[in-house]
Amino acid sequence: MAPSQASHVPSLDNLIKSFNSQSLEASIESLIFLLKRRQVKGDECAKATAHILRQVVAKSKWRDVDELLSRVQSVGSRLVRSAPLEPVIGNVVRRVLGLIRDEANEDRNADDIGSEAASDIQSLTPSTTPQPPRPRPTPIRPSPSVLSSGLTVSKSMFNLLSVKAPSESPVTGASTPLSQAQPASVHALRSEVMDGIEEILDEINQADDQIAGFSDIQIHPGDYVLAYQPSRTVERFLVKAASKRRFTVIIASLESPSPGSSELSYAALRKKLNAAGVNTINLASNGLMAYIPRVNKVIFSAKAVYQNGGLLVDSGSCVAAQAAREYLKPVIVLCPVYKFCPEDPSDEVSRGELGSPGSYVSYANGSAVDALDVENTVTDYIPPDLVDVYLTNL
Amino acid sequence: MAAETNEAPEGAPATQDGAKTGSTPANATANAATTEKLTSAQLKAKAKAEKAARRAQVKEARATVGTGPPAQDKGAASDGKGAKGKGKQDGQQTQSKGGPPQAHRPSISGRRPSMPIVEKDVRSGIPDSFSHLPMAKRIPTSQAQKDVHSAVLAVGQQMATFALNDSISRLKATLLAFRKVIESYETPEGNSLSRHFVPHVLNPQIEYLTECRPMCFAMGNAIRLLKGKVNKFDIDTAEDEAKEGLLEWIDLLINERITMAEYAIARNAAQSINEGDTILTYGRHRLVEKTLLEAKHDGKIFDVTVIDDPFERGGQELAKTLRHAGIPVLYSPNLGGLRPKVAAASNVLLGGEAIFANGSLHAPSGTADVAMAAMNAGVKVIVLCETINFDRDRVSVDSLTYNEIDPERNTADCFRLLFDNTHDKYITGVITEFESGGGNSPAQAILALLRKQEDPLID
Repeated sequence: MAPSQASHVPSLDNLIKSFNSQSLEASIESLIFLLKRRQVKGDECAKATAHILRQVVAKSKWRDVDELLSRVQSVGSRLVRSAPLEPVIGNVVRRVLGLIRDEANEDRNADDIGSEAASDIQSLTPSTTPQPPRPRPTPIRPSPSVLSSGLTVSKSMFNLLSVKAPSESPVTGASTPLSQAQPASVHALRSEVMDGIEEILDEINQADDQIAGFSDIQIHPGDYVLAYQPSRTVERFLVKAASKRRFTVIIASLESPSPGSSELSYAALRKKLNAAGVNTINLASNGLMAYIPRVNKVIFSAKAVYQNGGLLVDSGSCVAAQAAREYLKPVIVLCPVYKFCPEDPSDEVSRGELGSPGSYVSYANGSAVDALDVENTVTDYIPPDLVDVYLTNL
Repeated sequence: MAAETNEAPEGAPATQDGAKTGSTPANATANAATTEKLTSAQLKAKAKAEKAARRAQVKEARATVGTGPPAQDKGAASDGKGAKGKGKQDGQQTQSKGGPPQAHRPSISGRRPSMPIVEKDVRSGIPDSFSHLPMAKRIPTSQAQKDVHSAVLAVGQQMATFALNDSISRLKATLLAFRKVIESYETPEGNSLSRHFVPHVLNPQIEYLTECRPMCFAMGNAIRLLKGKVNKFDIDTAEDEAKEGLLEWIDLLINERITMAEYAIARNAAQSINEGDTILTYGRHRLVEKTLLEAKHDGKIFDVTVIDDPFERGGQELAKTLRHAGIPVLYSPNLGGLRPKVAAASNVLLGGEAIFANGSLHAPSGTADVAMAAMNAGVKVIVLCETINFDRDRVSVDSLTYNEIDPERNTADCFRLLFDNTHDKYITGVITEFESGGGNSPAQAILALLRKQEDPLID
């Protein structure tokens, strides 16, 4: 499907590098491939989506806003479908759609001031969506009063969150399609949208550092911090805290204890922390109740935060959160704002995604392969009542 | 796994010289019984011949010992308490209390100097916050004290290497080894069994076992009962008679508290399984396995979800066994997705290593997480546990009070505790071999249950 990609080691970086050398469609296909094979996952998804949508805006042929929106939407829904348990993709697509509408709206407002409010565009969205499978393309957009593209990141984030539910928005229905957007303004729009996506990318890249800025507020000297499967976000958070505080990090994970690998897990992080004078203990255990009495707080990062406050996390984090609740230890979840989803968790989410059982029951073990139905769940859903603090980059 | 392969050669030499049962404790008792009878018969014959001559001497000597016994008796009594209260870790304490200066003391102190060095090496990697917890360690047979009986040596090695892992198989092996010790015991001149046996013969064995691996609670209980039994013998009791009594008592203990208990619990628990249930269990526990097979044998149709600890993988064996018995099994190699799996279950069956006086369960690490998830999901949590595992003196409120460090994962790079502590509020019921009416009692009632059920073994 993506022959040009075959020679490369499949990774996001290679993909981004190859953007210029291959056609848009090939790039999209490669990314879908990577997503399906889980070679791009977690935090990388957001970045990948933003990058590919940037290519869509830049390379595809479009004459007006409608066309651009529908292109972005169709690419977005393909991406979402290829990785149904990475809600972050949908979030980024929504952000980009909102961005385009804003820019278009701004243009139009500049053209004919006093026409109907921007919410017109909203009603357009569903009708122009050719594929409905994406879980309701809820239009998320900044309130009409904020229209400048030169917003600071955090401000635009704030508005993103403060947007009212579409049903509450006052002027739905009466739609005046945006088709009157002048072809002349297409170029301007393109570059503005590209700038906007660039900003989103910046925001995604900076989120970890921004969250890490709060670390010394949350971590106190002498703490025992249980970091469950520390992601890059958590790593940065801990390393930042280590520069100011002396504490102990207990690292737990659900990783398969295959010989050699478990000893080396998180070696880089531990090295960094040890260098800063922070002790680390690597737990080789699934159950965490035994250690929680020793722990002061539990920290992990979320893959996504749902509308109800529930979390999609790497599996096992739920065990940590549950154990912490038993001993009333605070559970701190690090989640950049781009992981906030305007959806409710589906049943599928709460059942969890199944991963490869190969690391637990090897194919060489014939009797086991014959006898067992192995279910290796790799994601968990954590209900909101188990979480004490959501730490975002705002 | 590596441990098991190592265990065999070490067990072997021990088997040769002393008892044939050196290896039996590890396996089953079925063949142990036959081999035992042979050896015990042989030994008894030999002992009898020697003893007939000696008994006269002992009787003579008793007059002179007359002043000694009270002091030694006290030592033995406090020793019993020491084992009861501290059975878990303090070999040294038992030793200092129990053993009045005797011939074997020099050998201990002779060995001691080398021990701290070894110990330091092994324990130095343990993170500070967990440094109070004991850890099994392998003592080369050459380093063991000379008083340690060969059967006990073998058992000790098997415990240190975790070839004997769960509390009941350790208990059984220990009792069978002690049986050998008793059989080969000969009261020295001028002493009586009830005064001499515990401090001079039994205690070194116990110390050695404790050094190999901290005693489990069942062992603590059994040793307390055994010492009580020995102390009850009148000082005039003939040695043969006393030994016979002890051997019978050990057989009775094994029969009643282990073999029959297992059967009764499996039967009771199997009755609690209903047609069409989904039973969830964690890791592999002998009683749970028996129960599920028993229920299957009764013709019940049910599903089993086995959640495993990836660092033990006992659950995989359980899953295979069940699958071969024709039970549909869903195997989850780790605690991932615990909530939905638990919520889909109708019953959670857990095996326990011990239950404390406050009703909390001491069980393999991860059990508490499963129990808690089940309780939160409104699923019944049933614990299977023999009463010999109940500790009526000690309480534990968190997992760091009584625990063990995995000897293979004992550094900051890779650290693991073997057990955890499940609060009794996460346990719906405990099925034991006692209590006639179904045997399903809440964890809080365990003390009452024990008190009510006069221990038939004490008198």
